[in-house]
Amino acid sequence: MAIECSYYLEPIDTTDLAQRFLKAFAAILSHSNYAMVLDAACTVTSRCGRCTSTCPVYQASNDPRDIPCMRSELLLKIYRRYFTPGGALRSRFGIPWELDESYLNTMAEEYYRCTACRRCKLECPMGIDHGLMTHLGRWALAEVGIVPKALVVATREQLEGATRNTSAIPKAALVDTCEFLEEDCVDEHGLKIEFPLDKEGAEYVFFPAVSDYLLEPDTLTGNAAVMSATGGSWTIGTGAYDGINYGLFYSDRMLDRIVSMEADEVRRLSAQKILIGECGHASRSAKYFLRTFCGADEAPEVVNFMEYTLEAWKGGRLSLRKGAITERTTYHDPCNIARSGWIVEQPREILRHICADFVDMTPNGRENYCCGGGGGTVSIDEIREFRTKVGGAVKAEQIRRTGAELVVAPCANCKKQLREVCEDHGLDQVRVVGLHDLVLLAMDPPEHMLAGKDNDVDENPAEE
Amino acid sequence: MDAWIELARGPFFRIALSLMVLGLGYRLAVTISHIATAWYRAGDRRLPLSDITEATMRWIFPVRLLRTRPAYSAASFLFHLGVVLVPLFLIGHVSLLQGLLPAAWPVLPPLVADVFTVVALSALLVLLVGRVSSRTARVLSRTQDVVLLLVLFATLFFGFLGSHPTVSPVASRTMLLLHILLGDLVLVLAPTTKIAHCVLYPLTQLLFQLGWHFPAASGRHVAQALAKEDEPV
Repeated sequence: MAIECSYYLEPIDTTDLAQRFLKAFAAILSHSNYAMVLDAACTVTSRCGRCTSTCPVYQASNDPRDIPCMRSELLLKIYRRYFTPGGALRSRFGIPWELDESYLNTMAEEYYRCTACRRCKLECPMGIDHGLMTHLGRWALAEVGIVPKALVVATREQLEGATRNTSAIPKAALVDTCEFLEEDCVDEHGLKIEFPLDKEGAEYVFFPAVSDYLLEPDTLTGNAAVMSATGGSWTIGTGAYDGINYGLFYSDRMLDRIVSMEADEVRRLSAQKILIGECGHASRSAKYFLRTFCGADEAPEVVNFMEYTLEAWKGGRLSLRKGAITERTTYHDPCNIARSGWIVEQPREILRHICADFVDMTPNGRENYCCGGGGGTVSIDEIREFRTKVGGAVKAEQIRRTGAELVVAPCANCKKQLREVCEDHGLDQVRVVGLHDLVLLAMDPPEHMLAGKDNDVDENPAEE
Repeated sequence: MDAWIELARGPFFRIALSLMVLGLGYRLAVTISHIATAWYRAGDRRLPLSDITEATMRWIFPVRLLRTRPAYSAASFLFHLGVVLVPLFLIGHVSLLQGLLPAAWPVLPPLVADVFTVVALSALLVLLVGRVSSRTARVLSRTQDVVLLLVLFATLFFGFLGSHPTVSPVASRTMLLLHILLGDLVLVLAPTTKIAHCVLYPLTQLLFQLGWHFPAASGRHVAQALAKEDEPV
């Protein structure tokens, strides 16, 4: 299936592009551990092609460009030619090869056809992580300005903009949204919840994908309902309230700066831990890279909301009605939390309890298939056809085979992608929801949460 | 002919073996050094060691692979079995290394060695046919991916004929000479081709996992190196 993957860039300076790329690549290799990775990959890759049997993009496209080890070869070729003695000798005495702009354009497309789902690593006998190669290739390209505009603009707003988040939601809008959700929860569910803002000394600072405030009211309401029901100590910091980290998708420099922002906010509020909402890459960025960039001993502990909810339910602090969700439900594992094995069984334990008809996709868990929008590609609207028809084709078939009406996808990016996948593959009966959307519906709320009880605060005493 | 055989299994073999040992030793030492340096530089040194160990062991006995590509997986396993066990434990090879190997080095019974050799040859044929007949494999393959299979096939084949004069269509001494020369070639090629995975394999899962454990200041140092500290996003 020949669907191209072209995306918008901001204007870049193309003068001496290849030379500047090599300079950036050299700087990256000097100050990181990537040279070790490239050296090993050059030596041990056996070109066995096992990765073709697991890559969802290749399985749909059948395009040799999408073979993971061929994509990695783009970078390895540069490494061998310019950064190894053998490569230097071969260029003098053999057939010379020089990096040029055309080659960089090829890399620019191919590294964003990859969703960085890292499924290929499972099937490589040597354990070569082609997702790591994609990660490195994208960073090197980004240093010469080759990075999808969608990712840069959002990151710029998050790090340098007035609102400090990728959706440009001002603080006032955040406050309004939280108040609206609190009122709406009373109206719709008869439940009192609270979104505490800037509360000092709380146990958790909450970082959802900020787009949840715009697009996933039910997920956020479910989050707040769990905290209200369990008496959890949490807060939202108005200094930084966006867990999204596009640095994971295109630049270790940005990855560092964004997780550092999160750590700063936790320190500002004298809190102890970070509570990540339903977002795969936000969870992974925080859990694994706060320790890297902010000190392994100093970084706050990171808890995914699903871990909190499961522990609360199993510990008896949260009551959930068995079989409350009657529609056939399946679960999509977001790659960034499932591939490492961090979050696999936790949501399933909850779903097997609250769903009358829960069915798993096959394969699942650590061997899940990507939604097709991973690696930040979901945020690039102009490649939707590629994402849904190629990247998401295998996932569409998985969903279809389950016959599910509800797909639980605890990841903001996966939700957007899966909704588009379902739309473009004629899966009209499917609704994509968050886990906490269903938790909210299945919750047996404690007395203190019920609206209209005597413990309500009278908001208008003067009217009596 | 005998003089050539003595040359091939004498000085040629000793040089080839020395090059292999020194070369693979160098590769191993460099890789261990890289891993140690990377771990020392890592901002987060906590590694999922049980995952890494499990992945490493899983590929030694790759039973799960029979689910995805059963013919390829079976051929690959049987090929590796033969090409590791026969060179190390065939009585003719063990006698070449007398003095270097421990006295109690096990040897394969001749019939068992023959079975492993024939199985490995059959598996090699499957792998070769796969390499050249599959469009995906042709796109993926480098020169060494095909040449090494051919060299290994020829080495095993000539060795089998050399030790079975009754079935050899050509003089068995000629087969033996070709076997030894090609075997010497494989030893020389080992450090500089993917055959190096024979010593690096136990470390690769660890190495590629460690690749995600960046130095704490890597982003800031790259920004300094490229004079981008004050550059806007």
